[in-house]
Amino acid sequence: MHNVCLTLLRRAIAPLAAALLIALPYGCARAPEQVYKTQFFTLGTVVDVSLWGVDNQRAADAVKTVENVLNEVHRRWHAWEPSELTRINAGLAAGQAVTISEDESQVLQQAKSLAEQSEELFNPAIGKLIGLWGFHSSDVPKGPPPPQADIDRLLAAQASMADLTIDATTIRSRNPAVEIDLGAVAKGYGVDLAIDALRKMGIRNAIVNAGGGLHAIGKHGNRPWRIGIREPTHASGIIASVNLRDDEAVHTSGNYERFYDYQGRRYHHIIDPRSGYPSSTAISATVIHRDGALADAAATAIMIAGPQKWTEVARRMGVSQVMMIGADKKVYMTPAMAQRIHFEISPAPEVVTSEPL
Amino acid sequence: MRRADYIVLIFALVLLPVLYGTYWTRSAPGQAVRIIDATGEETIVPLTQDRHLEIKGPLGVSVIEIHDGAVRFVSSPCSGKLCVHAGWLRNGNDFTACLPNRVSIAVVGGTEGYDSINF
Repeated sequence: MHNVCLTLLRRAIAPLAAALLIALPYGCARAPEQVYKTQFFTLGTVVDVSLWGVDNQRAADAVKTVENVLNEVHRRWHAWEPSELTRINAGLAAGQAVTISEDESQVLQQAKSLAEQSEELFNPAIGKLIGLWGFHSSDVPKGPPPPQADIDRLLAAQASMADLTIDATTIRSRNPAVEIDLGAVAKGYGVDLAIDALRKMGIRNAIVNAGGGLHAIGKHGNRPWRIGIREPTHASGIIASVNLRDDEAVHTSGNYERFYDYQGRRYHHIIDPRSGYPSSTAISATVIHRDGALADAAATAIMIAGPQKWTEVARRMGVSQVMMIGADKKVYMTPAMAQRIHFEISPAPEVVTSEPL
Repeated sequence: MRRADYIVLIFALVLLPVLYGTYWTRSAPGQAVRIIDATGEETIVPLTQDRHLEIKGPLGVSVIEIHDGAVRFVSSPCSGKLCVHAGWLRNGNDFTACLPNRVSIAVVGGTEGYDSINF
């Protein structure tokens, strides 16, 4: 009797187990919802949009909306092509009070307060210096670096956001050397605006990625969005991955985004406002925060601050999730970042974890 | 062992590499390249056939080569040549672009391990 039962059981188990094993992976893969992914060019970079669980028609509308929002940011805030910003800069240089919209006022005020929090390491008033280095051009400059005398002259003028008086409708400058360049926050600000627009359309699960900066909401089906952070010393490859929570922006500033080599030295576009030269103590900095404009500005400030000073800048700016790759190739992280980062290279790099921020 | 046991065993052994391939391998070789040009037009070209492609952009023509399951920029009318220096791309999610000429190439297919890449 016992034996018969066992045989029956065995006979039943074999096909059942086989069927289960086969069905399992397919069952998971055949979720009715899908990711919709597309790419386009704007803000001088490639933007990719990922949407989860949205039908194709709505997805196409959503992507169009993102494109319109980012194109509008480009039209308003472009640092050298004719834009609202170049109009403002021309007025400021001429010593005039310039009329601005309320939206523009908010953006400029946020840039001013971020500059102050970063102890002016994020300094969007040094547009003239960035232009002097040749980075106010769609094409990468060839060098040589600008003459030291020209750099010294601009440093002596001490252009700072603190020179600006900004109210709801006008902006004034007491320093004619100020030229605003929002290159280090515009992406963060634009991507956040795009995410807001998607939310208003009722989209709950999305990533908008504009190269060095992205913002994610919701999830990829029943798992979190998973993003890769590019390895900064090579042209391709992933150094680490991280699973994102709902409503998080990830911004990276790096010396590999825009640069030229001249006589064996690399000159990149992130200018240290203290020296007037491209920053040299870090290769890249990545910041995760809900506020993309803050994360973007903080990534720039932290990259300029380098291994000696980065924790102080991060604390002052109120960012607790930071990863910086030093010029010494060590990876500097806050404990909050170290907890969630997963290295994708082997051997894993040497990590220096800071005090909790 | 009875016949059913063998069947289970064989199923398990057959399934093992499938599961491994599905869940463990990352950056598997890609099957195709997605090329996006300045007008936003998307072209998907398989990596299985060796060929040269000429993509027009605002600065001129970017030349893309597909060879032996990989893809690269051979030349592009930009000054930085970052796209050309990126070299051969062959794994799912590998990506490079000539921003001045507004041409991007992304390897698709294979196991796309990431939803998005921050760089």
